[in-house]
Amino acid sequence: MDTMRRALLGQMTKLTVGAALVPLSSIASAGINDQPPRREGDPAKRYQPPRREGDPAKRYAMLIDLRACIGCQACTVSCHIENEVPLGSFRTIVSQYEVEHEDSGDIATFMLPRLCNHCDSPPCVPVCPVQATFQREDGIVVVDNDVCVGCGYCVQACPYDARFINEHTQTADKCTFCAHRLDVGLLPACVESCVGGARIIGDIRDPNSQISQMIDEHSKELMVLKPEQGTSPHVFYLGMDDRFISRPDAKPALWDVRDPQGEEMGYEFHGH
Amino acid sequence: MNSMVIEVLTPRYAMAWYPWAVQYFFMIAISYSALMLTVPGLLLGKQRFLPLAKIALLVSVSCTLVGPVALLADLHQPLRFWHFYTNITPWSWMSIGSLLLPLYLMLVVAYAWLAWRPAMQEQAQGEGWMARLSGWIALGQWHAPRWLLVLAGLGALVFSFGIMLYTGAEVAVLQSRPLWHTEWLPVMFVITGLIAAAGLVLLLNRLMTGNDEDVNRQGLTVIFVGMILAAVVAALWLAEGITGYSPSVQQAFASIKNSPQWTAAAVWGLLAGIALALSAAVVLKKQVWLGGAWLVGLLALHVGWTFRWMVLMEVQTVAKNTAGYYQYALEAGSYGFMGIIGTFGLWLAVLLIIDILVPWKKGMQVRAH
Repeated sequence: MDTMRRALLGQMTKLTVGAALVPLSSIASAGINDQPPRREGDPAKRYQPPRREGDPAKRYAMLIDLRACIGCQACTVSCHIENEVPLGSFRTIVSQYEVEHEDSGDIATFMLPRLCNHCDSPPCVPVCPVQATFQREDGIVVVDNDVCVGCGYCVQACPYDARFINEHTQTADKCTFCAHRLDVGLLPACVESCVGGARIIGDIRDPNSQISQMIDEHSKELMVLKPEQGTSPHVFYLGMDDRFISRPDAKPALWDVRDPQGEEMGYEFHGH
Repeated sequence: MNSMVIEVLTPRYAMAWYPWAVQYFFMIAISYSALMLTVPGLLLGKQRFLPLAKIALLVSVSCTLVGPVALLADLHQPLRFWHFYTNITPWSWMSIGSLLLPLYLMLVVAYAWLAWRPAMQEQAQGEGWMARLSGWIALGQWHAPRWLLVLAGLGALVFSFGIMLYTGAEVAVLQSRPLWHTEWLPVMFVITGLIAAAGLVLLLNRLMTGNDEDVNRQGLTVIFVGMILAAVVAALWLAEGITGYSPSVQQAFASIKNSPQWTAAAVWGLLAGIALALSAAVVLKKQVWLGGAWLVGLLALHVGWTFRWMVLMEVQTVAKNTAGYYQYALEAGSYGFMGIIGTFGLWLAVLLIIDILVPWKKGMQVRAH
């Protein structure tokens, strides 16, 4: 294994994670002080169109306690059922990794639930040529699929692969934090179904919310995905390993399952 | 930290842009590049460049008409294209493009119409349905002053710069894909567009006009100079990555490191580029081989098209968030192979219809070999 590169990457992520926590802490404190976090001080200079709809007094975010995630995919399944996501596309999924210590041979698994990060500087929003996708005042990034032309530009712009073209609606689709449920006082399907209680959603402007308290408690350990992209993600990971913050240096396993003719054997979403 | 990681479970993300996008980028780049090739002959009145300009105008118009069809097809909701005009979004390059494109198209068509009109008017003097149709297309026998042609040509040129800028910037602004996120990408789109346009001019010069010597020489010169510029840009891009001047380019290298497919693609690109530059130079030098310039033209088209295929399609197979690469298999249907063939077929149809209706070669004195 390329240890030099590993060490370098490790250093880089630590530095960038530190940078990512700057806006996070400012948001957390802004919540306490009841000051709305605005984009003036953001690391990204990306232009953002004005937010609309949603409750301006709130800023939803999610904290995922990886220590409690067992990779059961209950969130993946309940999200599919709740949001009628086509098979093979995912608004949320738990990436699973097998980590083997090269010397001792010890094996551990690492679970990484992925979903839309509802970034404070979402790269997907300003690229939309018809303003179909927008950020609500409460921070949730949504798509108006009556307006969406299905150009796929937002899918390309998202560094987290959180967006896809829904094959049924032929428009952009993504996690909405189950905004339709939040708006009526319910929890998102993934949060509701998480057996370990690993997903915590809440309003980070409310200092008494569970998420605000956990952010305060763990602020030094929290990490976000790809902080170097300057997106200011609002899905925070607790118990994260910095090797998984960006594209992991891993061997992809399932995609290689093909028969001698090159036909796929073990991965059969196509054609369902 | 000495550990081996295997990604056990992760979804495979589908392509958001289909080969239609490659076709659009290819057609529109040829369109604006061929438009540039018409300038010396048609706008500046240089007689030596008139045959080149006549072929280039045909190339430009046909590609300008077909490109937007491919673009429309790449939308998953093509019938909602009018949303672009009811939700104008000045901060999105794609929205800016949706405003530039129809104006550019109209100006190119106006420019060609004015350039071909005298010959159409002459054709309208004859007998039969062709003469009647020519009369309708020419909109009467009134004389259009030359300044009108120059105005339309200059207008089309101005908008063509807008098209170059928006098609390049649209892709290059996406930080999420480091292989796209470089200021050199728009430059490379223009250079390879010019190379492909010159290639198509050489091919049509062989197939439709009688292989004019000057056109061959001029086309090959454009290809040769274009390849030198492409090499300089590629070297600058590489240097930015190697020195770490651009972290994004550095990330781009890291994202395809150790991939046999990408290594093969890089080697192929290098070999094709060298072959193209050398063959253009050799054919230019060896007078007796000049008649075979169209073969260099075919290679130039290959380079121009494959560059777009690699940039737009293959880059989408580099996982953004997860390990490895997605296997992209070209589908047979309209989202894949049929889309590619269909675009070229439509282009051929447009080319032939223009060739039947318009005496575009009129006044061209071919100096064959």
